[in-house]
Amino acid sequence: MALLELDQVHKHFGGLAAVNGVNVRADDGEILAIVGPNGAGKSTLLKLIVGLETPTRGAIRFAGQEITQAPPHRVRQMGIAMVQQTPRHFASMTALENVALGALFGRAGAHRQEEQALELAGEALSFVGLADRRHDLVGHLNLHEQRFLELARAIAGGPRLLALDEVMAGLNDTELEASIAIIRAIRDQFNMTIIWVEHVMKAVMSLAERVVVLDFGTILTEGLPAEVMRHPAVVKAYLGQEMNHA
Amino acid sequence: MIANILDGIVLGLQFGLLAVGLTLVYGLGGVLNLAHGQMAVAAAMVVALAQAAGLPIWLAAGLGLLAGGLMGLILDLTILRPVYRLRGEARVLLSLLLTLGVSFTVEGFLNWRYALGALSLRIGGGAVEILGVPMRRGSLAASAITLATFAALFLFFRYTSLGRAVRSVIEDQEGARLVGIYPHRMLRLILVLSGVLAALVAITRAMVTPIDVHSGLSITTFALIVTVVGGLGNVAGALLAGLILGIVNAVAADLIGTYISLIILLGAAALTILTRPAGLLGVRE
Ligand SMILES: Nc1ncnc2c1ncn2[C@@H]1O[C@H](COP(=O)(O)OP(=O)(O)OP(=O)(O)O)[C@@H](O)[C@H]1O
Ligand SMILES: [Mg+2]
Repeated sequence: MALLELDQVHKHFGGLAAVNGVNVRADDGEILAIVGPNGAGKSTLLKLIVGLETPTRGAIRFAGQEITQAPPHRVRQMGIAMVQQTPRHFASMTALENVALGALFGRAGAHRQEEQALELAGEALSFVGLADRRHDLVGHLNLHEQRFLELARAIAGGPRLLALDEVMAGLNDTELEASIAIIRAIRDQFNMTIIWVEHVMKAVMSLAERVVVLDFGTILTEGLPAEVMRHPAVVKAYLGQEMNHA
Repeated sequence: MIANILDGIVLGLQFGLLAVGLTLVYGLGGVLNLAHGQMAVAAAMVVALAQAAGLPIWLAAGLGLLAGGLMGLILDLTILRPVYRLRGEARVLLSLLLTLGVSFTVEGFLNWRYALGALSLRIGGGAVEILGVPMRRGSLAASAITLATFAALFLFFRYTSLGRAVRSVIEDQEGARLVGIYPHRMLRLILVLSGVLAALVAITRAMVTPIDVHSGLSITTFALIVTVVGGLGNVAGALLAGLILGIVNAVAADLIGTYISLIILLGAAALTILTRPAGLLGVRE
């Protein structure tokens, strides 16, 4: 059964159709990658899902409930957590305090106590390998540690779906391997569904189970990673350009 | 001179606490509450009336604090509703206009019903010598209460999840929403808190000098100046700015004259905006 369903979703900014009639479904426990050139509408699509943007037209359903108009804090409490393209943490707080906010507020009806939230936060930090940095201010973490911190904050409330926006950009090979392992472990251990926008093709090929290619706000093609990468339109519209980058 | 400085510290602590309410409400919700002083005065009048009705002072003061919090809640539920529909500059401007309206309404009402109303709380006992200067017990009690309140605020914001949730909204509203925090709920909480703090300042101020129905505008003005100097959304900054400006105010009033001290304070605020737009403790973006 589809956990998340986007039905003919449009998002217009003035005259620009950033997302133009997209249908996407993500099944329970699946890792779905969304790729496409710069400005294709990938980030906008994720923002529509988590409520940071509201669709101009179309409907979004999650776990059988319509969330098309739901505000971000509601969506989060219903079980969708997002990690954004640029790290966004609360700089005046420690790693543990950051993650504890997610544990305490990120789930409706949980009414967790302070200590319980801190405990859950500690577990989430251990999960991403940051246990020994828990009392550091987040400003003292480097880029990949900050990314892992955000992953920990996202999973701390126990969501059912993770929306990740280019969380592997700028990582070196070792960090990339570590990220891939963590995301795979999140899915395997917690059975979370993952929708993941990514430019790093190597990571997409090794982690994604299905790939959706977006261009100019519409879906160019979708399928298994290996199939999609051979698709002529993809090679032409996207991969050629991507190869030149690398 | 030392006497002036001590007076300035007493006053400055109270300025600081007034500014905390204003600055947090602004930092959280982009709402600048120009009725802050009138809320303080109205709470003081509640205390005065309760006392006149024969209630013991602790109960009267409790009612005053309750009234302050209630006024914050009522602002949130009524006059600020249209403000919440706007964003950015329009939001700040509408909040200025509407709360200015509230301030006139409250002051007009108090002036009509209790024109001669005033709250003055005498704390008995002789003066206590501090650094060779005799200080009235009222001033000391007021300062002690204010300091204890500041300490409680620091603990709240540093060590409780609710306090950290409020800070998270001030730091990054969208980020806070993404971890499941509803910013408006935090704003409502802080509006209530700011009302309670305004009432507390009115009550402790009345231990030093009488509060009458016309004190509102000067209270708002001082609070606004301290808020600007301390940096918007910054509790520690409000404390520091309150202390500095309290001392500046007391010394200037003594050396030059009361009429000039407000101008000096406004000048200090203008200078702060020009040199450190984020406030004394603010970090440059
Ligand atoms: N708030 C906004 N207002 C106006 N235009 C916007 C807004 N957000 C995005 N856009 C536009 O919508 C288009 C899609 O943007 P989006 O950020 O979704 O692209 P993307 O696929 O994530 O690109 P990238 O790979 O560079 O992150 C772009 O042309 C962008 O300029
Ligand atoms: Mg993007």
